[in-house]
Amino acid sequence: MNGTDGAGAPGSPAEIVGDGPVRGAAPAADGSVPDGPPAVFSVRNLWKVFGPKAERVPGSSLADLTPEELRERANCTVAVRDVSFDVRQGEVFVVMGLSGSGKSTLVRCLTRLIEPTSGTIAIDGEDVCGMDSGALRDLRRHRAAMVFQHFGLLPHRTVLDNVAYGLEIQGVGRAERRAKAGEMVEKVGLAGLEGRRPTQLSGGQQQRVGLARALAADPEVLLFDEPFSALDPLIRRDMQEEVVRLHHDEGRTMVFITHDLSEALRVGDRIALMRGGRVVQCGTPEEIVGSPADDYVRDFVRDVPREQVLTVRRAMRAALPGEEDAGPALTPATTVADAIETVARTGSAARVVDDGRCLGIVDHRSLLGVVAGLDSDGKAAA
Amino acid sequence: MSITTTPADTAVSAPPAAPAGGDTAPVRQDERLRALTRNPAARKLLVLAVAAAVLVPVAAATWGSGSWPHALTVDLSGPLGRANDWIIDNRDSHWLFLYFFGYISGGIIAAVHAVYTVLLALGWAGVAAGATLLAWRVAGVRVAVTTLVSFAVCGLLGMWVPTMRTLALMVVAVAASVAVGALLGLAAGLSDRTFRALRPVLDTMQALPAFAYLMPVVLIFGIGVAPAVLATVVYAAPPMARLTALGLRSTDKGVLEAVESLGATGRQRLLTARLPLARRELLLGVNQTIMMALSMAVIASVIGADGLGDRVYQALSTVDVGSALAAGIPIVLLAVVMDRTTAAAGAAGDSGRRTGGRTAWLFVAGATAAVALAGRALSALDWPGGWNVAIAGPVNDAKDWMVDHLYSGLPGVGGTADWAAHYTGWVLDPLRDGLQALPWWGALLLVAALAWLIGTWRTALTAVLALAAIGVLGRWDTSLDTLSQVLAAVAVTLVLGFAIAVPAARSARAERLLRPVLDVCQTMPQFVYLIPVVALFGVGRAPAAAAAIVYALPAVVRITSQGLRQADPAALESARSLGATSGQQLRQVQFPLARPELLLAVNQAVVLVLSVVIIGGLVGGGALGYEVVFGLAQGDLATGLVAGAAIVCLGLMLDRVTQPTKGGARDGS
Repeated sequence: MNGTDGAGAPGSPAEIVGDGPVRGAAPAADGSVPDGPPAVFSVRNLWKVFGPKAERVPGSSLADLTPEELRERANCTVAVRDVSFDVRQGEVFVVMGLSGSGKSTLVRCLTRLIEPTSGTIAIDGEDVCGMDSGALRDLRRHRAAMVFQHFGLLPHRTVLDNVAYGLEIQGVGRAERRAKAGEMVEKVGLAGLEGRRPTQLSGGQQQRVGLARALAADPEVLLFDEPFSALDPLIRRDMQEEVVRLHHDEGRTMVFITHDLSEALRVGDRIALMRGGRVVQCGTPEEIVGSPADDYVRDFVRDVPREQVLTVRRAMRAALPGEEDAGPALTPATTVADAIETVARTGSAARVVDDGRCLGIVDHRSLLGVVAGLDSDGKAAA
Repeated sequence: MSITTTPADTAVSAPPAAPAGGDTAPVRQDERLRALTRNPAARKLLVLAVAAAVLVPVAAATWGSGSWPHALTVDLSGPLGRANDWIIDNRDSHWLFLYFFGYISGGIIAAVHAVYTVLLALGWAGVAAGATLLAWRVAGVRVAVTTLVSFAVCGLLGMWVPTMRTLALMVVAVAASVAVGALLGLAAGLSDRTFRALRPVLDTMQALPAFAYLMPVVLIFGIGVAPAVLATVVYAAPPMARLTALGLRSTDKGVLEAVESLGATGRQRLLTARLPLARRELLLGVNQTIMMALSMAVIASVIGADGLGDRVYQALSTVDVGSALAAGIPIVLLAVVMDRTTAAAGAAGDSGRRTGGRTAWLFVAGATAAVALAGRALSALDWPGGWNVAIAGPVNDAKDWMVDHLYSGLPGVGGTADWAAHYTGWVLDPLRDGLQALPWWGALLLVAALAWLIGTWRTALTAVLALAAIGVLGRWDTSLDTLSQVLAAVAVTLVLGFAIAVPAARSARAERLLRPVLDVCQTMPQFVYLIPVVALFGVGRAPAAAAAIVYALPAVVRITSQGLRQADPAALESARSLGATSGQQLRQVQFPLARPELLLAVNQAVVLVLSVVIIGGLVGGGALGYEVVFGLAQGDLATGLVAGAAIVCLGLMLDRVTQPTKGGARDGS
């Protein structure tokens, strides 16, 4: 899954992620981060229950029942169960889980496309659940735009008019919105296809239109709901790189829903792993892969090539006297895979250097230990 | 009854039936009983058998046998006659007529007159040019040529003026139907409650014969253009309402969600997403509305709509086949042109082809105006009578020849009149007598059992109530006469339909040959079918049945062959791989898999046959249809209204008895 060939991205995706401001910050129990940039979305104790009289379920004894019992007793289904997290400015926050884990419901609750049953959602400190329909429309128009798995394009409009659609319903004038839409079409690499209809495009191109439509409103947050699941693997890879590139260029906050672990690791700064409506673990890719919170997560990440996600921070040992000045230097964000290459090529141990200070040493033994999974859990480095 | 036999049913009865007192193991009997009670159809049969065993002796002892008892009828002719007299007396004075109905009928008459004036002002050249250019813009060159030829033929047959009168009436009726239907459909598309309330009404209205709509409007508006347009609107608006609602309700949920996520208001959602996405259904609705409006506008000639239908009506009443044909051909041509043009408009949206551009439409309007002005300058507005080709005489000669040579006495095969006599004498009469000899409570029980077996207890209740209402109205015997005609014609239709559909479903070539024929047959108004059958069989019940069979056949063939062809290819392939013969494939795979379509075909056959059997009253079909015609002709509205109500009940009963699933999509036009 590693790629040193990321379009316009220096180094591997993991390294780009590593440049993010939150890397290494210790997560609090509820998924919020104590310091760093302010939270854009702040979700607390969110519940979504489908069924009659759903509002009586959260917090009651009904909530402790198994899904089958609950369906039998109250004819209700819990999609999101007591979820709390913060999405911080400028990060790519990935919610991942298998189908039926509640992730798509969760992202729809953020802009109340699905009305949450209980809990609070705040955008920039403003209560979303308390918004009237006008304020909510404003939020959807200007602050949070969404990209959908099945694109949701209007088949009777051209590419350009689809991209301009969001601006049109905001009441932007024809010339202005078309100019803006043209810019966006170019940005997502569809220049020349403005006059086509969505049905005349490939799946990847259609999703680029969906992306351009979301970008056209210049929203504060982009919400992606399994955007690339319907695409071929190769095109999916292209699109993931497109998102990484966009994020790198603009630094826009993104919430990204996926069921694909490698996709989550590739694009995510932080990942919330959901199961049965609950967030089972929330942390950086390195924390998820290196320190799974329970057996479910461990099982989930078992097949991930660890050396491509974990960094030398995790592999290094304290420097022995004399080692601090010799050998090649690596940044703490270097992946183990890249460090192995360096060490194999030079034949000697490498130093982990941050701001000219030597943090530690990685050698054959410590690097192989990571690949073999011998580094014990909980030994998060630094 | 055989239709209700499910595969599971046959599986249950597959082991040889053990004699009741035999020595077979009781355990197996137990199992079979349990299997029986588990199968819903078998359970229903069991319940019915028990109910019949209890009810039949009781009913027989209480009421004896025979026709509907006089004590249970309500004679409505007195009150209805008085109501009619009151309306006639007060039509010019009462406020209800002066300020409400008066305005409606006045508005309709004015609108029809205005359209007719415009058509006259355009002249024959202007109208033909305008229609041709319109067809060219919307549907391409081929349809445009068809349009031009059609209008030319209308003129050549000497039917230009009646064609324009029908066209004027159609324009107003279609505009009103589309407006009313679209509004109803909009309401039903946006509100679940309206949809649930409206849907059964629309379903029922589409199952009723056109004739049933005539009497109520005549009661209020009298005879004339206004009631004709109103009856047409009532008849033609339901498909528009249905398809509008369907289109709005089937919008892609993903698209709607995306639109909502961008912050669209409800109105924006409707105007920019739901309506444009429903374009295909909306245009299909317009297409069906136009076809039904044409069908009704022609039939409405019996309540005073002039034009082509009136010419056919007058000609048929004197058995003047030649004149009827001369007026019938333009009707068929109008139907084909309108159908092709609107269908092409619907298909254009799918392929992404633009139908228009403002300049193109300006060109159409400009060219039409230029041709019209040229015609005016040459003072050639009226169709030149010298060009007319009189076909009535030759056609009548040919018909006389047929009467002399084909009606009877052909060696070996007899003749058409002989066939008609045999059909009447050997099929219709015994069937009618048998139905009328059936004790009335027996008929009710039979209908209840049939409807319950095929549908639910709710459909059974409706069917029984409808049949009982016929008895209460005092039209028991007449209705059974109509029913006998319907049943016989449906049986023939189904036999012929299946016989045609099975080979058509198996061979792509047969299907290709059949398709254009079916297309044309399904666009023709019911009324037109009366012309050839009168030529072939004279008047009476047999020609009415023949018209009904010919009218219902295309729909049955189409639905059946589609159902057979849609059978899962994987299932067919596996049957073939197991070495099934083509007969086995047909019986064991295709028929069971196509069961819903076969039931739908039966339902459609019943509905369509009934509608023509009723119209058959115009060519000597007698029974309920004749009573309506008689009521209109004699000004005896009470008789006509009661017969109309009986038609509604009969239609309702037949539709419910053959209703296979609740709310199966029905779109046979």
